[in-house]
Amino acid sequence: MTGATEILVALIAVTIVLAAVFLVRPSITAGVTGKILAFVGLCILPALCVDAGMSAHMQRSEQTQFCISCHAMETHGLSLYVDDPNYIPANHFQNHLVPADQACYACHTDYTIFGPFKDKLQGLKRIYLQYVSTPPKVIEISGGYSNLQCLHCHAGARSFEENPIHSAMMDSLTSNQVSCITSGCHDTIHNADQLGNVKMWRPGQ
Amino acid sequence: MKLRAIGMRRFLRVSSALIILGLLVEIVSLLWFHPLAFVLFAFVGVVLIGLGILVYLISLVFAASPPTENRG
Repeated sequence: MTGATEILVALIAVTIVLAAVFLVRPSITAGVTGKILAFVGLCILPALCVDAGMSAHMQRSEQTQFCISCHAMETHGLSLYVDDPNYIPANHFQNHLVPADQACYACHTDYTIFGPFKDKLQGLKRIYLQYVSTPPKVIEISGGYSNLQCLHCHAGARSFEENPIHSAMMDSLTSNQVSCITSGCHDTIHNADQLGNVKMWRPGQ
Repeated sequence: MKLRAIGMRRFLRVSSALIILGLLVEIVSLLWFHPLAFVLFAFVGVVLIGLGILVYLISLVFAASPPTENRG
């Protein structure tokens, strides 16, 4: 539990105690002080707990450990440890080209104003498929993987801009007409179903 | 007046109970590190707490409305 979560749990505990007072003795709201306390304990503090709780859950869902805690994502998490630089996610994760503790989120969120919200909706859809409906055998991103998620970091970088192949097709890349990962250039991604045949990197060894 | 007071108290009790239940669900969701914890929080905890706040706000309206026997 992080410090922020501990503070939130303490706030929730205080709110529970205050709400319990009104559960046991609602008559204390007869006085002005009781009315103010009721407004704080049954309206302000619970609303604050919801807001802080939502924020905590949103932040937590950006962590790599959170994503791979889902059974369906275990092999994708394992693919981050493939000992082969051609594996794009593994290369980014192992060399800290993306924050290692937010590796999934760094490459799988839309960098738009409602991007994280849209991602959460997609996540809820996957949870529905996993627990209520039938989960797909192969996990795919609906609508394909957008180049904008690569360009969010790579656009403007010297090594990217000065690469003759990139510069020759820059318009096609920025308009998403040519995919970075399915055009044959950077097509070794997670390959989660083929991990049995590859060498794995073990940190510290 | 007496009936109104009893009604108000019942509203407060229901509101408190819903909020306590919702907050307990929120604590469980925060301690449980799993994607389903978010679902538990968003679809159970938030709904219970929201209902509790709503019932409390309704109780305020109920308490503020003038008693029927005093009208006219």
